Amino acid sequence: MSARQAGRHDRRAGLSTPLGSREIFDNVVSVETPEGILLQLRPAGLGVRFYAFVIDWLVRLAAIYILATVARFMGGIGAAFWIILVFALEWFYPVVFELMPSGATPGKRAYGLKVVMDNGLPVTPAASIARNLLRVADFLPLLFGFAIVSMLLRRDCKRLGDIAAATMVVHEPKAVKRSTLDKVMPVVPARQLTPEDQAAVIALALRAPTLTEDRLNELAALAASVSGDAGREGPDVTRRVLGVAQFVLGRRS
Amino acid sequence: MTPLSFEQMYQDEWAELEAMLTMALRRKPAPGVVPMDVSGARLAWLYRRACEHLAIARARSYPAYLVDRLEQLTSSAHQLIYHRREFGLARLKQIAVSEFPRAVRAHRWYVVTALLTFALPTLIVGVLVYRRPELILSVVSSETAASFQEMYSPSAASIGRVRDASTDWMMFGFYIRNNISVAFQCFAGGLFVGLGTLFYLAYNGVFSGALAGYLTDRGLSSTFYAFIVTHSAFEVTAIVLAGAAGLRIGHALVAPGRLTRRAALIVATREASVIIYGVVGMLVVAAGIEAFWSSASWLPHAVKYSVAAACWTAVLSYLTLQGRRAG
Repeated sequence: MSARQAGRHDRRAGLSTPLGSREIFDNVVSVETPEGILLQLRPAGLGVRFYAFVIDWLVRLAAIYILATVARFMGGIGAAFWIILVFALEWFYPVVFELMPSGATPGKRAYGLKVVMDNGLPVTPAASIARNLLRVADFLPLLFGFAIVSMLLRRDCKRLGDIAAATMVVHEPKAVKRSTLDKVMPVVPARQLTPEDQAAVIALALRAPTLTEDRLNELAALAASVSGDAGREGPDVTRRVLGVAQFVLGRRS
Repeated sequence: MTPLSFEQMYQDEWAELEAMLTMALRRKPAPGVVPMDVSGARLAWLYRRACEHLAIARARSYPAYLVDRLEQLTSSAHQLIYHRREFGLARLKQIAVSEFPRAVRAHRWYVVTALLTFALPTLIVGVLVYRRPELILSVVSSETAASFQEMYSPSAASIGRVRDASTDWMMFGFYIRNNISVAFQCFAGGLFVGLGTLFYLAYNGVFSGALAGYLTDRGLSSTFYAFIVTHSAFEVTAIVLAGAAGLRIGHALVAPGRLTRRAALIVATREASVIIYGVVGMLVVAAGIEAFWSSASWLPHAVKYSVAAACWTAVLSYLTLQGRRAG
């Protein structure tokens, strides 16, 4: 057991630098799958969860209001249904939505959040019920006091109900954009490039379309040593640095 | 190998996996993805391949778009393959037939503690208020006490609450809301090392005891006890069981044993949530009985007490005997 855990830590430590540094800046929680790869989960912070909560609250308020309008025409039975539905909305609105394929209430979906288990899998019914019933405890001492303190103190931004139910609210991964590189003549690198250098040059080339020309030249100048242009700056240097990126990616002509 | 040739070599496999996932997860197909039939074995193979490719791409610092694409493929497939499905009637039946009563018996000492925390205040306050009825005012206000007396007076058309005709339905809704909320509070209070649970149990015990003692003193005992005796078989039991689930959570935090506190809490919550499934079911039954059966004042008391005896026997033997055999 301990040997296996040590192995896991080694593997994590041995990950390439871009991933390691992303963990620091982006507040990523890594989960290991049985296949031995690390999935990256990005926990949602207090701010975005508050906005999502407000939306859900408004949705529920609207539903209660509409139901009340309908119930008024139905007399005693209408009132009974209204009370039952208000009760159900109060306790089970989040449960129902979290168990749907999207794994999120409308408010969470609006902000691209979803509820998952600690291991990245869809939330189970038992966990969803537990985390939502325990919201009563999160609400204390007033206005979700414990939930706010817990979310601010923890790296994975869990409230008490999330801790107990082993769930997490995460940002849904954004759809991958297929980046296309502008056609630039490949340039043979002027020196041997480490994997980190290669990754940095390629990342620069992929970001190029989003940068202004001046900024791109500035950044390319920092990497100019890869094409043997160290110390120089300008559109030509930029073109040659991007050319190195083409070469590293595998274009040869 | 360069990133481009890596992509060139394996992109057909990734596209196939993507197409299967689109089909299996019923997603809207992304542009360029043609959904295709899902074969489990093929999907699992493609998933493991994608995992290998992701590991390689990360280790070689391949461009972000490649790594991101593989991350998304593997994480979608991981969700699909390892998803635990606990839905459906079969699962509910399994809980009702064996898991719920077994979980209750496995937590018997929590149940006993919760029962005592609820019942002792009920008895003590009940006797106190019966002896000295003015003590009711230290539990509720005088208006509330007066309205209780009015509700259970035999002259009321239907007992339980002051109500117009045809509001049985409304009371049904009201009871579900009130009682289930009490039960859920007892459960959630467990997160405060069980103190919240103990407080809610004792508080509701004091309240019930005061009510019972006061009404008995006023000579309304026959209507009052005939009213509560049937549904309390489900309602009081459910609240005590919810309290037991809360105590289980609280105990895990105080004495986690050989686990970390966090791991103990997670295990306790998972086991306690089986009890909570049962509690919700029992509370729905209780509310139905309370609204339609208990409040019907035209039924002779003998009938009510017989039915109540049958309900109590059924509930207690269900909890102690059901699901003892393997299966």
